[in-house]
Amino acid sequence: MKWIASDIETYAKEKEYVDTIVVPLIPFGLENNLKGTVSAGEYISIISHELERQLRGRLLLLPPFTYLNSEPMEEKVKRLAEWHNEVIGNGASYVVYLTSDVEWKNAEDRLEDTLVWLPSIPLEHMDNEYKMETVSTQVKQVLQIVTKKWQNSPK
Amino acid sequence: MAKKNEVTRRQFLNYTLTGVGGFMAAGMLMPMVRFAIDPVLKEGTEQEMVPVMDVSEITKEPQRKKFKVDQVDGWYESEVEQSAWVYKDEKDEIVALSPVCKHLGCTVDWSSNAAYPDQFYCPCHGGRYTKDGVNVPGTPPLAPLDVYKMKVEKGKLYLGKPEPR
Ligand code: FES
Repeated sequence: MKWIASDIETYAKEKEYVDTIVVPLIPFGLENNLKGTVSAGEYISIISHELERQLRGRLLLLPPFTYLNSEPMEEKVKRLAEWHNEVIGNGASYVVYLTSDVEWKNAEDRLEDTLVWLPSIPLEHMDNEYKMETVSTQVKQVLQIVTKKWQNSPK
Repeated sequence: MAKKNEVTRRQFLNYTLTGVGGFMAAGMLMPMVRFAIDPVLKEGTEQEMVPVMDVSEITKEPQRKKFKVDQVDGWYESEVEQSAWVYKDEKDEIVALSPVCKHLGCTVDWSSNAAYPDQFYCPCHGGRYTKDGVNVPGTPPLAPLDVYKMKVEKGKLYLGKPEPR
């Protein structure tokens, strides 16, 4: 389900079925490598929406966790822990972070949840068919990670 | 005598003003008329059917086929990807089912759970449907999968909107 009013209504009603939270981690900064930052973020946002479409009955896609490129990792980890507490405190069992920012790889062991890192693939010059193909193969992998988590506790 | 063919200043103004006025009136009326008859127009224009695959490719085993449809959502129009499970049933009739689970909307997969081969399986809460799309009692979904409107033309399968049964 998405972070939109109509979906949240269903979420509130069917909360017991929605135990997984997905948070895209998206960096921001206007200094160097502007284009790279933007396309990496765009890529993750496409992937998260597609993932949501496939598994919308059991997961809630939150608005992205955004941060300045220059923000120190400890700060980010601390802020993200607050998000974690908020959602876990409200009944979610699994939290999945999606990002293509390598920095998070180094912090993985400090996160309490599943981090899925995907290399960002530049989609802008692909034709539509190929774009869909690429996105769907990537999403399939994320899907497997998520459903594997579920297998241990079917709801 | 020359006067006869010449347009007087008054006439000129009259013409132009009626012209402009008429134009304005039309501008105001047209949307009203459109609002009034729009539903009728909509009913008449069939939801666009999209070619999905060659009929010869259709097998007894359901295949997932993706296709794109234009969707107007509020103020922006976008291309959305849709998919269908397409197969031929025992009577050799083509069936195209929507993969959207009737419980909470996840995408169902064909025969993906080893314990339930030959069923559609929903990875979210274990919802199941038999091959004809009918929900298996005792699993979360309470209705059968939607069926796509379809037509066959020149050996191609066209799909329209998925409709509840
Ligand atoms: S969404 Fe398919 S079983 Fe719940």
